[in-house]
Amino acid sequence: MAASAKNRSLARSLGLGALYIVLLGYAALVILPMIWLLYTSLKSNREIFASAWEMPRAPHWENFVYAWVRAGIGRYFLNSVFVTTISVALILVVSAMAAYALTRFSFRGNRLIFYAFLAGLMIPTQLALIPLFFLINGLRLLDTYAGLILVYIAFSLPFTVFVLSAFLRTLPHELAEAALIDGCTHTQAFWRVMLPLAQPGLVTAAIFNFLGIWNEYLFALVFISSERLRTLPLGLANLLIVSHYESDWGALFAGLIMVMIPTLLAYSLLQGQLTKGITVGALKG
Amino acid sequence: MKRDERRTIILFLLPACGLYAVLFIYPVISSLLLSLYDWDGFTHRRQFVGLGNFSRLLGDDPMFWTALKHNLFLLSVPTAIILAVALFFAAALSSGVRGARFFRITYFFPNVISMVAITLLWFFIYNPNFGLLNGLLGKLTARKVSIVWLDPNHIMGSLVAPIVWCSLGFYLVLFLAGMENIPHTYYDAAKVDGANAWQQFRNITVPLLWDVITMAVIFLIIGGLRIFDLIYVMALGYPSEQSQVIATYLYEQAFNNAHMGYGIAIAVVLFVLVFAATAIAMRVMRRERLEY
Repeated sequence: MAASAKNRSLARSLGLGALYIVLLGYAALVILPMIWLLYTSLKSNREIFASAWEMPRAPHWENFVYAWVRAGIGRYFLNSVFVTTISVALILVVSAMAAYALTRFSFRGNRLIFYAFLAGLMIPTQLALIPLFFLINGLRLLDTYAGLILVYIAFSLPFTVFVLSAFLRTLPHELAEAALIDGCTHTQAFWRVMLPLAQPGLVTAAIFNFLGIWNEYLFALVFISSERLRTLPLGLANLLIVSHYESDWGALFAGLIMVMIPTLLAYSLLQGQLTKGITVGALKG
Repeated sequence: MKRDERRTIILFLLPACGLYAVLFIYPVISSLLLSLYDWDGFTHRRQFVGLGNFSRLLGDDPMFWTALKHNLFLLSVPTAIILAVALFFAAALSSGVRGARFFRITYFFPNVISMVAITLLWFFIYNPNFGLLNGLLGKLTARKVSIVWLDPNHIMGSLVAPIVWCSLGFYLVLFLAGMENIPHTYYDAAKVDGANAWQQFRNITVPLLWDVITMAVIFLIIGGLRIFDLIYVMALGYPSEQSQVIATYLYEQAFNNAHMGYGIAIAVVLFVLVFAATAIAMRVMRRERLEY
């Protein structure tokens, strides 16, 4: 009896040990490429080709300078900051207003509008891509941020209206009523009472839209053609295509590091919010 | 009061509905109509060809079927791996191993990186001359390894790893959230009855998680059908016959070859495929669920 209990606990700790090896193994699969990326970005082109493993003899920080300045990562970075900030801010305002109107008031067509937004969640963006290209071209917004941002707003609406509606529905409407009785207009009640209360929902929506737009590639590829207007994913992909022929690999590794750093920082600050919001955010996938 | 209310409704809905109607609904409907035309996009000459684009695409275009085959490969193999591994990890992490938080945060990290950056990273990992993978194999076998992982014969297989790597964490977190909702008393009762870990997983976790698993399967299928960034960037903008998928083929036909009507027809087929695959997955998974 005692022996079998001992065997069982031995088996269990063996099993637990094996489990830890598997868990740590997968963690290594995520972390090791990052570490490799980090020190390879400090190697000269010749060192990179000499061995995949060896550390650089002396760190070549100039790879970073080259990537930021000459390869244009700095400009693409600022471009992405600009496009993403404006887009996310506008998406939140436009979606919150619509979600408020849809959840606060009952009127004819209310459900229809809500379901029209919901249907957008199921439509692949490619279905709209080609006519959208000609529409943006016709509006003379091709190769402008205005065009790209408008498209980003339109395609974020289904998800954001859905999330914010779900959130606003949970708030007590008596608060808005009370504000109206106190002499607020509907607009004031929205901005001063409901919006601050909806903050957790807005934060979730902001994070997912930020990630989606910061990382977006296809629309930027189709709507932006000038070198100076490229966003980060567009600029980075282009560097690969150019580098492939010119092969300044150190700078490309450095560029990749610089692209990942803000995401890594945002992630370490917001990962709790992010993984909590995933069941909602899942719908965007 | 009532008029004030109506004005508010219109004012609040106008920006969202206006943008959505013009930039989303209108192009989608245009696509459905323009797929019936032969059109290069730049002249005003459009020729009505009815279902001509579709019959050419489905009946007379081997590249489309090749692309579809690649999509089916990229949605089935990674889906199977992701489901198995993510469920296993979620079960392990929810059973209270130490460091569960660390593992969850680490595994999820690749999900927030842009697909272009992930493609670049794997492009480097697979590089025949200085790549991490050949370097690792070289260390293990003590000789120089120079496998060309992204050559036409290997590329499909090589794409599986980045897909799993970049999306596993999302499904792990999804399953973890679902498992948190399963009452602990079920497991306690099973333990009293002498059920082992596998039996508990098989008979409690999986059935009670079935809706979440169904959702995951649908996401993975849709993702596999729409895949673009990874293929396009990995192929440096020009996917070959060995790596072409539907979305890259659409892009090539429309924007490189100026076959707009044909490109739109491909987009419509992609849409139908997404819809059909979702419906089939829901149907199949629902039947499975009735067993319990």
